[in-house]
Amino acid sequence: MKHYKPSLDRLAQLAQERPNLLAGPLQLYKEQEGLDDQQLATVLGCELEAIPRLALCERPRPAPHFREDVEHIAAYIHADMLQLAMVIRAAESREALSHRYEAARPTLLAARDQDESEEPQAPDIAASEYESSDGSSR
Amino acid sequence: MQATPQEYQFHQRLRARGDPIAFAELAEWLYDALVQDVSKRAGYQADPILVEEAVGQALLDYHDKPEGYDPGRMSLLGYLVMSAYRDFQNAFAREQRVQAHQVSLFDLALQEDEGAGSLENLDDQLQIEELWAVIDEMFPDPVERGIVELIIHHVHAPEPYIHLLHLDELPSNEQIRLAKLAQYRIARRLRRNLTRWLTRTGEEAQ
Repeated sequence: MKHYKPSLDRLAQLAQERPNLLAGPLQLYKEQEGLDDQQLATVLGCELEAIPRLALCERPRPAPHFREDVEHIAAYIHADMLQLAMVIRAAESREALSHRYEAARPTLLAARDQDESEEPQAPDIAASEYESSDGSSR
Repeated sequence: MQATPQEYQFHQRLRARGDPIAFAELAEWLYDALVQDVSKRAGYQADPILVEEAVGQALLDYHDKPEGYDPGRMSLLGYLVMSAYRDFQNAFAREQRVQAHQVSLFDLALQEDEGAGSLENLDDQLQIEELWAVIDEMFPDPVERGIVELIIHHVHAPEPYIHLLHLDELPSNEQIRLAKLAQYRIARRLRRNLTRWLTRTGEEAQ
């Protein structure tokens, strides 16, 4: 791996953990839609190189600033404003849904544990095998 | 040296919040210069991925808390280089500690693969098995797992990565860009998870 060149892609990757930036929701949107950067660029009508710059933009503020902020971002990356607004809205909805799912997960797991505990008790040897396949003793 | 007028302007925009492109523009403007300056300080032998990670952290930390920087005291570039270099040194020291441990484990694992005989130290063998189990858990996807193996075997040529990622049909510069990006992402995840795992096993052993 010679010819190493700094790339904003790497910064955009790190930025996914920053809740105020667009990097996180955009990544989730791409994953769920099965898009790569080139395909996302095509959807937005912008250059491939604009995608990491988009990821480093702040999330648009809610109304009444949303439109103004999206226009600002669209002008910066030379993208189609309406398409960008739609992608950002979709990305944020998916993120909200995924957070809701994450929040519900412990409850679902607890419910599953509850169901399992209601099953007839297995012999001791089977119980120990279950433990190891569950990863707890690895 | 104080902040230049352009740096000062960026600083004001970031502090004011509400400008959705201020940080992206700042990053676009300073990123390459920062990577270059920190690489120079770190020495050109330094791992470029670690350098870029440190620069990225410094920029993102500044994004989160721009009030930590005083434009009357030094230039923004100088401040970020200093902060990134400090992050780099910490990451490098951590990396050295992890690698010392990791290399010996992987060497033992490879010897075992080649049928070099049983390992005398049972603890090491158990740790290697646990290590591969941890890697299996971290990378269930066979392509990602294949990249992990290339990284562990110190494969530097881009071709095996390109082949594994099915990028052969793309133009060659795009192949190399995507292969490097995939290698970077996976190496980063691997390093982060292994550091966490090694720290945890180290603590349990004490």
